[in-house]
Amino acid sequence: MLKRIRQQWKTYMGGSRMAAAGCIVLAVWILLAVMVPLVSPWSYSAQDAQIRNQGVSLLHWFGTDRFGRDLFTRVWYGAGISLTVGIASALINGAIGVLYGAVSGFAGRHMDLILMRIADIISAIPSMLYVILLTLVMGAGIGSMILGLCVAGWIGMARMVRGEILKLKEMEYAYAARMEGIRPLRILLRHLLPNAAGTIIVNLIFLVPQAIFTEAFLSFLGVGIEAPAASLGTIIQEARSQMMLYPQQMVFPLLVLCVMLLALNMAGTAAEQKAGGRMETVRGREDR
Amino acid sequence: MNVLEVKNLSVQYPGTEGASEIVKDISFTVEEGGITGIVGQSGSGKSTAMLAVMGLLDGRASVQYGQITVNGKAPAPGRNIAMIFQDSLSCLNPSVKIGRQITETVRTRKGCGRKEAAARAEELLETVGIRNPALRMRQYPFELSGGMRQRVVLAIALACEPDLIIADEPTTALDAVVQAQILQLLRRIVRETGTALLLVSHDMGVTAAMCRNVYVMHGGRIIEEGTAEDIFYDPSEEYTKQLLKDAKGGRLREKEKRNADDPESGEEALIRMTHVTKIFDADEGVRDVSLEIRKSEILALVGESGSGKTTAARILTGMLREDAGRLYYRGRIPQRGRRMDSFGGKVQMVFQDPYASLNPCLTVRQALSEALDAAVRLGGHDAGDADARVAGHPLSEQEKEERIRKILALTGLSYGDADRYPHAFSGGQRQRIGIARALITEPEVLVCDEAISSLDATTREQILELLFRVQRKIGFACLFISHDMHVVRRISDRIAVMYGGQIVETGRTKKVCSDPWHPYTKLLLEAVPEPDPVRAKKIKSGPVKEAAGTDQSDAAEACCPFAGRCGYALECCRRERPEQYAFGDRGVSCFLYSDEHSGRRSGAYRMTSQI
Amino acid sequence: MARYTCRRILTGLLSLFVLITVTFFLVRIIPGSPFQRGGVSESVVEAIEQEYGLNEPLFTQYLSYIGGVLHGDLGISYQDPAVRVTEVIARAWPVTASVGAAALIVSLILGTGLGILSAVSGRRSVKQVISAGGMIAAGIPGFAAAILLMLVFSVKLKLLPASGLLSPVHYILPVAALSLYPAAMVSRLVSSTLETELTKDYVLFARAKGLGRRQVIFTHALKNAYLPVINYIGPASASLLTGSFVVESIFTIPGLGREFVGSITNRDYTLILGLTVFMGAVVILVNLITDLLCAWLDPKTRRAYREERA
Repeated sequence: MLKRIRQQWKTYMGGSRMAAAGCIVLAVWILLAVMVPLVSPWSYSAQDAQIRNQGVSLLHWFGTDRFGRDLFTRVWYGAGISLTVGIASALINGAIGVLYGAVSGFAGRHMDLILMRIADIISAIPSMLYVILLTLVMGAGIGSMILGLCVAGWIGMARMVRGEILKLKEMEYAYAARMEGIRPLRILLRHLLPNAAGTIIVNLIFLVPQAIFTEAFLSFLGVGIEAPAASLGTIIQEARSQMMLYPQQMVFPLLVLCVMLLALNMAGTAAEQKAGGRMETVRGREDR
Repeated sequence: MNVLEVKNLSVQYPGTEGASEIVKDISFTVEEGGITGIVGQSGSGKSTAMLAVMGLLDGRASVQYGQITVNGKAPAPGRNIAMIFQDSLSCLNPSVKIGRQITETVRTRKGCGRKEAAARAEELLETVGIRNPALRMRQYPFELSGGMRQRVVLAIALACEPDLIIADEPTTALDAVVQAQILQLLRRIVRETGTALLLVSHDMGVTAAMCRNVYVMHGGRIIEEGTAEDIFYDPSEEYTKQLLKDAKGGRLREKEKRNADDPESGEEALIRMTHVTKIFDADEGVRDVSLEIRKSEILALVGESGSGKTTAARILTGMLREDAGRLYYRGRIPQRGRRMDSFGGKVQMVFQDPYASLNPCLTVRQALSEALDAAVRLGGHDAGDADARVAGHPLSEQEKEERIRKILALTGLSYGDADRYPHAFSGGQRQRIGIARALITEPEVLVCDEAISSLDATTREQILELLFRVQRKIGFACLFISHDMHVVRRISDRIAVMYGGQIVETGRTKKVCSDPWHPYTKLLLEAVPEPDPVRAKKIKSGPVKEAAGTDQSDAAEACCPFAGRCGYALECCRRERPEQYAFGDRGVSCFLYSDEHSGRRSGAYRMTSQI
Repeated sequence: MARYTCRRILTGLLSLFVLITVTFFLVRIIPGSPFQRGGVSESVVEAIEQEYGLNEPLFTQYLSYIGGVLHGDLGISYQDPAVRVTEVIARAWPVTASVGAAALIVSLILGTGLGILSAVSGRRSVKQVISAGGMIAAGIPGFAAAILLMLVFSVKLKLLPASGLLSPVHYILPVAALSLYPAAMVSRLVSSTLETELTKDYVLFARAKGLGRRQVIFTHALKNAYLPVINYIGPASASLLTGSFVVESIFTIPGLGREFVGSITNRDYTLILGLTVFMGAVVILVNLITDLLCAWLDPKTRRAYREERA
């Protein structure tokens, strides 16, 4: 098992300085997100009117916010939430997308047409709407956020996998397999999907920053995770009202977020270059 | 007087493990008004050397030379030297009209105005034998046939008014008949314009047909040089001898006495297609094709690209569904929708592209045992039946291992290869794996779709021999699809010639090849140059006219598909389609053999060639 | 091609219809009344609901909404009964479109230029700088870029105005924030496709026939390299033209995006619905145009189209 992981790692990441840099940063970020809330003397949620809006100091490395909460603890706690949301929804979206795309591409014809039109409609509605709906039904929390991101987040992956399967289906070895009398399901699982693995993995890596990004932007607009829980987006949103006076309250979470996204993108790009590229760029993204 | 002088040319590419030298210190000359050939297999560094002469290698390559001069001056692409490439489709810009691609060359060369350039372009197109140049200039590359595109490329090269044209495999991508036309055109151009030609080719036949002086290249060096006669009749190097031997081809047929020589044609037909038609939007398709493959024979299906060979094969294997017609397998009609299943894995295929026909994710062993498992699952011929599964008992691991070991040995692979992935093999080895994969299920019919045409000459011979040997040993029926008359006449028992989606002639290979009846078959046989300067220089392109255009789909319904290019075309050829006239075991679709035109004869009349 | 066009338009209309339906019911299943707020009595809420026709069966409401859409009427805002949704769109869209169009032009010019530079530059450092810049620009979220730009240029340096759209100078920051991502994408696409085009035989042949390097790049290679860019820029321009939620609310631009965010915080369901439908319509239309344009740019399909008409 370990050998296999190492081999996979080599296939997608090996020998690339960009991948190494991305992964190291990511590892540090995860470590901080786990450790800081645990060992910090400050709590991410306890308010203290005595120490409001303090600047950077030895005691409070990132300063404090307007409720007197230690920003360093808060930012890393938020980073943890963001990462959790990102990875969880990327995994769910990836699974749905692969399944949907594979079925659509492999079935072909009418089935394909109908499935892809359904995907078009779902992706035409701003995901903000889904999240609002879910938060109203389930309450604002991590769960409803992840679910909200999963309503439309799989569509890019589904399109990509479908395209790959459509292409691979016409390869000569797929014909050969059919002629040998191998059953369709087995052809899909053993002959087509493994050959699409590169595309799938690359896209899976890119799904994580995409989800983190969407979550941050929704939280920034005030739709999403609510207090006392906080993601990087909500922390940035809270600092917005006093950004003219205390810009550092905004800059720190922003930088932590940007570096996290960059690291993920670097890992993804490195894998992309190794695996031979995403077949097409995702049509637009939720950057509204 | 030499047009081109190249002395001590070397080209290196920096690699991960030191620089690799692609071209190693070669020197050659091209004399004025003549055709000089460079011949060598792919990977011998020919193309790299030519690009180095042109000065068109990219920045990574480091080029050293003592001298490269064209008539004493440095080579300037588009001025004193021009080059044409193998694939005319990829070397014309797909989104720019033909006219523009010629006129921009004329204007760069002469600095003249639009009108003048357009006039010159039309003139050039006429020179290279394109009728109606004004129309062609408004078209895009994809609207022209392969031969016509290569003529356009040549016209562009001529627009540079160079002293020397380098032609890098100019006819490799073309069909034999068109190749003969282009070769003739090249000869005419050299004769009329006095431009020297440097012809680079892997094809000994083409080289023999064209060149006065020949250089043989191997592994980046020129290993032998001399006049064509010297090289072809009295080669001194071992490598050249081998090349010539491969090009001529060993004698497959005589080596083993065929069992099918006795003329009992009442043998059982394994697969029979009758009046099968399949039409696509584009014109490639098949019309009214009848064909039968008999037990343990090799039937060759030969014709140019686009003639519908592959379509016929795909219908036969069940990959495509026919629009009309019937297909019988062992006298029964298999279920239309699930034909692949009803064959029960007894029809297998070897594909053209050895790089696309193996699943890159499976090792050889995995691929082979996949096929075995599926065959066991299918068991008998009726896969639909539930008890078929009972019929085929699962093989034990040892049995499977044994079968894999046997098939690997049979196809000339070592048992140690079983655990390697396809990317670890060369093209020829991959094709062996492809054959092993197809044969491990012990099929009754093997379809080889251009299975050797993407390989180089030596490998091609090996694979051909392998196929022939295995077929004779196991005795499966084989449908061998190829565009190469030379190959086909050596390996097949019977032959079917296709043109324009129809079978124009069928019969025993020996008879068809020694005495072709249909004008197209005759043309095909004559068009292939042999690696023999005296004989090859006689190749004819026949009384052929350039096809009227690519858009003949409407007309094709109502006339003989070959009428537009046929030198013997009669009035009726353009009005209606000839049916297949059968004479013993031969059949031919041409009006020359109809009752009206050959005259009614008694039952004892023996038909002979009418052309 | 004519048939393709018709089919494409029909599926576009169908998608729009399904979009309207789905959004309508999505918005309606949100629990609670939009007028339920602290201090408003039950009877008042009911009275307002009656006025808006919310007491009728859901399906009747749906039919009347569809009827309205067919007449170009998207209903009345729940927040302010004096304002029609169409009026909101008519007011906000020109603002959004002007910013979006400016961002589109900037990103196309910048992206193409950098893409060409990266593809044809012989120096590795140029390539690396451009691709690293592209990755940063594409990697950081739009709102982060907008905030950082604002903090640097208007809060710290006080060079550029931070809000409103009063003069051309006001456009600089929002346009910069908006065009960052598409510019990075365009430059990446141009450089990668141009690089592959430049390895193709027709480029070599064009050089062999004596054309200059520049002529080969601009008249030959770029023509074939631009198709993927159009394929990308179509949908991207749709999202630019319908307004960015964050950039508009950060720079307080009175456009569609800000209206949408506002309508969500206000629970103004007709406005949410109307804006979603409008944005959906724009997206579908732009995608339609892109597909047709791509088909038209390919000489093969164009030729087929001409022959059909003849």
